[in-house]
Amino acid sequence: MDNNFLVIENISKSFGDNKVLENINLNISKSEFFGLLGSSGSGKTTLLRILGGFEKPDTGRVILDGMDITNLEPFDRPLNYMFQSYALFPHLNVFNNLAFGIKENFTQKEIEINVRNIAELLSIEHLLNRRIKQLSGGEQQRVALGRCLIKKPKLLLLDEPLAALDKKLRSKTQLELTTLQKKLKITFVFVTHDQEEAMSLSDRMAIMKNGLILECSSPEEIYENPKSLYTANFIGIANIIEIYKKDENFYSDDLGVNFKLNKELKNTKTNILLRPEKIKIQSINNLKTSSFNSFSGEILEKSYLGSFTRYEIKIKNMIISVLDQNFNSNSNYNFPKGEKVICSWESESIKVLED
Amino acid sequence: MKNKLFEKYFVFSPYFWLVLFFFIPLAIIFKISISVSEWGMPPYQDIFLFDNGFKINTTFENYVYIFSDYYYIGSFVNSLILALISTFFCLLIGFPLAFYIATSNIRLRNILLVLVIIPFWSSFLLRVYAWKIILQNNGILNVILLNLGITSEPLQLLYNQYAVIMGIVYTYLPLMILPLYGYLNKFDLNLIEASKDLGLNRIKTFFKVILPLSVPGIVAGSLLVFIPVVGEFIIPEMLGGSDRLYYGKILWEEFFVNRNWPGASALAFSGIIILVLPIVIFQILYSRWSQKNEI
Repeated sequence: MDNNFLVIENISKSFGDNKVLENINLNISKSEFFGLLGSSGSGKTTLLRILGGFEKPDTGRVILDGMDITNLEPFDRPLNYMFQSYALFPHLNVFNNLAFGIKENFTQKEIEINVRNIAELLSIEHLLNRRIKQLSGGEQQRVALGRCLIKKPKLLLLDEPLAALDKKLRSKTQLELTTLQKKLKITFVFVTHDQEEAMSLSDRMAIMKNGLILECSSPEEIYENPKSLYTANFIGIANIIEIYKKDENFYSDDLGVNFKLNKELKNTKTNILLRPEKIKIQSINNLKTSSFNSFSGEILEKSYLGSFTRYEIKIKNMIISVLDQNFNSNSNYNFPKGEKVICSWESESIKVLED
Repeated sequence: MKNKLFEKYFVFSPYFWLVLFFFIPLAIIFKISISVSEWGMPPYQDIFLFDNGFKINTTFENYVYIFSDYYYIGSFVNSLILALISTFFCLLIGFPLAFYIATSNIRLRNILLVLVIIPFWSSFLLRVYAWKIILQNNGILNVILLNLGITSEPLQLLYNQYAVIMGIVYTYLPLMILPLYGYLNKFDLNLIEASKDLGLNRIKTFFKVILPLSVPGIVAGSLLVFIPVVGEFIIPEMLGGSDRLYYGKILWEEFFVNRNWPGASALAFSGIIILVLPIVIFQILYSRWSQKNEI
């Protein structure tokens, strides 16, 4: 695949003294669904607005499909931008909102056909004569999407595409959006602060913080093998444990536990990540603790989540989160609060964090 | 119970205001306009006479008089044209200013708003008089033009209809800017970006998005300028020449020079009806249209 479809090269941007983006480099492939994930103030929206042409970068270039678009006005760029607020035109009905971007270059008949097609694609044919104020949030989102897609852009930029929807609608729309994107094969770049949304939509995603890209990879890779402490904490639930070299193995003072790693380490002291679902929880009656990668602790808190139960287990100075899948409807599989349990994990599950 | 009563009166208070300061004075003017004029104080006869039994003493001659003489109708038409031109220029200058103020950052916005309002703190007469000083034959502007060698003799800048239009646009500009600003302030700037993103350049974006969505503000500002300019008396009097007669001036002369109160009242009453009726009809149609279009 051509992974130079969208090239973001050394992009920096400041507003006054405030450095919003610092030397951003990204390569995005054709037909990729790419997520920019970060908390507010991370610079993700500014980056998206630079791609849309609404902000000019201080340095760097944006190249789309071999064309340098850095200095092009928004109306000259072969891409479209879907606003978080949808920015639908209140003085026009749905039909005219959809037709807004193609009225110039098409005949009345072509406009009709194009609008019908896009309305059919998004299942909004019955709304064409409605006013914008008469639409629900989900319907508005579709119109906003349709208004962009009708232009057949090379690249679609989406600013928090699902943030304005309620939770139930959001997961349904999430699925529709990915299906649509795979069907149309248009490159999507979207911004979100919601890590679940980023994980479920993205083919690849970039984690942003303070104007920098910390990591850029597939959701699986970022979840399983995060490089930085920030990413590990930002995505999913994380047990972060500080360990240092002691004899053959590593040791954590906070847990009082030996760690056996399956690879060599440069540093003598480091942070490791242990995801809660990687920890096996067993009744203390069945087993003795092993000399490494295992401890016994007491269940402090417990929350039943349906398919999983989340336990907070206290050991020495730390509280470790454990997610235990509910294999069996037998309540014996659930440990009560205050019970002593044995936790253990595989060496491969220990992920060393670089910083 | 007390609150309910208060609410009731509160809701109707604009109507009390309207009756007290519009309909009652209008009725008085109408009464004078249909009375017979005479020399005396007041310079008209009562419309109800009781000397030899009850008798209604009215006449429509005043209306016949003003409508049969082009002197009156012409001055009214002049004023309408003046008001139209002035409103157009106020809009032309006021819209970009209001838009700029509405879209600038909050600190600059407050400074600019104060600058718009500041002229109101000085006397209206003084400000118009200042223009007289600037534009007169040996005034500041002519001195500058002469010294720069652009003209060899002073230009006649004062006492013509252009000076009047300029004076009116200058004076009434804030009345255009403030309601427009109030409306544009709420304008969603994302709509402009969305329009550009969908391929429309700045000019097309202006005509397809900004202008149609600004109609309520434009209507409010234009009415606020147009209506008072029709009756404007002082500016044409101070800056205008004898080439054109305006409605306000004729009214003044009819009242105070000719002491023809019934004639002047007929003129005033006709003017109000001619001006207010179309505006009321326009407002009704417009509110229906804007409700339909949800602007």
